[in-house]
Amino acid sequence: MAPSSTKRVRNTKLTRHFLIGNTAHILPHPSFPSSPPDGHTKGWTVYVRPLPNGPDITTWLKKVQFKLHHTYADASRTIEAPGPFEVTETGYGEFGVEIRLYFAPEAGEKAVYREHYLVLAPWGESKDQMERTNEVKAERLETVEFNEPTVEFFKQMTSEDQFNWLKVKKGRGKGKKPEFVFEGEVEPSTQLPEKGDGGKGGGLGSGGAWNRGFERQVVGQLREVEKVLDQSLEVERRGMEERRRKMEELGVAVAAK
Amino acid sequence: MASAGHITPNMSAISKSRSELRRPSRRWHLKDRRWKAVNQKEPERTFTQYDVHVETPSYDDEVYENNLTHNEWTKDETDYLMSVYREANGKWPIIVDRYDYEGSTRSMEDLKSRFYTVSATVLRLQTPISSMTASDFTLYETLSKFNPKQEASRKQLAEGHLYRGRHEVDEESVLLNELQRIMLQQATIENEREDLRRRLDYPRANTNGYQYNSSSALTQLWQQLLATDRMKKNQRLRPTGHPGFDGFNSSTSARPRDSNAGLDTNLPSRRGTRDSLPSATPQNSLPVDLSAAEMVRFGVVQNQDKLPSGVTFASDRLTKPRVAKSTVQTDKIATILQHAGVPELIPLPTPAVIEQFESIMAKVHTLLDIRKLAEKEEQELKVLS
Repeated sequence: MAPSSTKRVRNTKLTRHFLIGNTAHILPHPSFPSSPPDGHTKGWTVYVRPLPNGPDITTWLKKVQFKLHHTYADASRTIEAPGPFEVTETGYGEFGVEIRLYFAPEAGEKAVYREHYLVLAPWGESKDQMERTNEVKAERLETVEFNEPTVEFFKQMTSEDQFNWLKVKKGRGKGKKPEFVFEGEVEPSTQLPEKGDGGKGGGLGSGGAWNRGFERQVVGQLREVEKVLDQSLEVERRGMEERRRKMEELGVAVAAK
Repeated sequence: MASAGHITPNMSAISKSRSELRRPSRRWHLKDRRWKAVNQKEPERTFTQYDVHVETPSYDDEVYENNLTHNEWTKDETDYLMSVYREANGKWPIIVDRYDYEGSTRSMEDLKSRFYTVSATVLRLQTPISSMTASDFTLYETLSKFNPKQEASRKQLAEGHLYRGRHEVDEESVLLNELQRIMLQQATIENEREDLRRRLDYPRANTNGYQYNSSSALTQLWQQLLATDRMKKNQRLRPTGHPGFDGFNSSTSARPRDSNAGLDTNLPSRRGTRDSLPSATPQNSLPVDLSAAEMVRFGVVQNQDKLPSGVTFASDRLTKPRVAKSTVQTDKIATILQHAGVPELIPLPTPAVIEQFESIMAKVHTLLDIRKLAEKEEQELKVLS
């Protein structure tokens, strides 16, 4: 390797949001036309995806290895760039999928494991909606941080070319997933968009849920938690005060004896 | 002297006539008689040459009143001093010995001082300083410069010196030897130092015009040496970090500006401000120039201290704090978090969320500590009551 690629940018980190999650449907479902093996009641897709309005994920992600449950034939599925980094299967049970991320060679970083627990049953607040639409979605935002990246990698990660995939799509109005279409209202960025693509609601899986509004919601929720904790702390403090008084009383009593 | 011997006449065959020798002694008016040979010619024998009187300054009342008054001296005592001086013929030890004026306890120096002052004053009155002869003036100087205190201390010293003991003399000589030795040593050291200085002296340039005597010439020399140094494997010179001195940008990044280095060397007065204007970043350590907005857009976070190496995931910061070293503690943390309503999986690890979560975790730990303490205190209370 050339020396320039091992030279690193000090005190700097590059951050990229991306999504890890899965969708699941009760079979039969149009997405799974071929008849499933015996006992397989659900069809699911586990995936690693970029944010809808973010830069090209393949700039840093070159290969993803999904390690399925060992009962699957060919349990280790490897997807190379350009992807999409997803595995679709049928099954009947939930399990943890080991996801190994391989980075661009310029980054000079080793592959890293993440895990996603496959969710097949409707859950949470939008449980009813999931049941109605026969589409279960479980997804989380991940933020990968490249600490002190190499110079070469830094250049790639700050190139405008990373947004080309969005622009092309915008121009032709087509894409693999129509709901991903970027309308050009907001400048593409690595940061979370201010608003989700409206009308989708908490559209997990579409990526529309990941926006500033949701961030604020989460932060607000955690603030509430903090208030609860503050109350608990207050109770404990009062208890401590109480005990100290008792101790003092006892101390006086002992001294009097 | 007063009892001059009488030689009996029959003791000598030589006829002798008695002669009277009058000695011109004013005080005693003695006449002595002695025998002498008749034929012998008597050399003229006079003792008048020994009849010397000391001069004392003379003054009358008016002169005394005008010039010679003194706080501690009356005219009578001054007169008495003069008379004693005359009687003792100016021998000071005798004067001090005989001096007996109404129980006064004046020292020799006091007497001398008074006498000299009076003498000098009278001398000056007789002949003004301007018209004094050389000898008179010397005398006047000596008289008026008499310092009784110094004289007393001098005598005291001399007396002390006279009465010092054997060991004191020895000690003094030892000290003197020591001093001598020290001085010699110092001289040797001084010589050696001088020698060393001469040896260390820088060699003077043979050429008349020393070529690096201006700051610009020195800068040029520095740049030359630095350029040579950079070619070498182990560099001994460190760039000053000042483009104007170093002649190139010393930042580690390979910027196209570096190709101007040669040019800069020739133009030390060049201003570097124009080049650095377009970059909005405080440090030019980034390989690509980015504005603050661009940095946000590309997810670049700068000036992070103590970055871990390699790749990290922000979501780990929402899960790892929940795990303590012991399972018991981990369970406790989980219970508190669950009770407070923190979801097991926070799906959005943005900086704001992480910050909030960390604040929560700090509180959780405080709560745990307090509860632990509470348990202990309860136990103690139970034991005590």
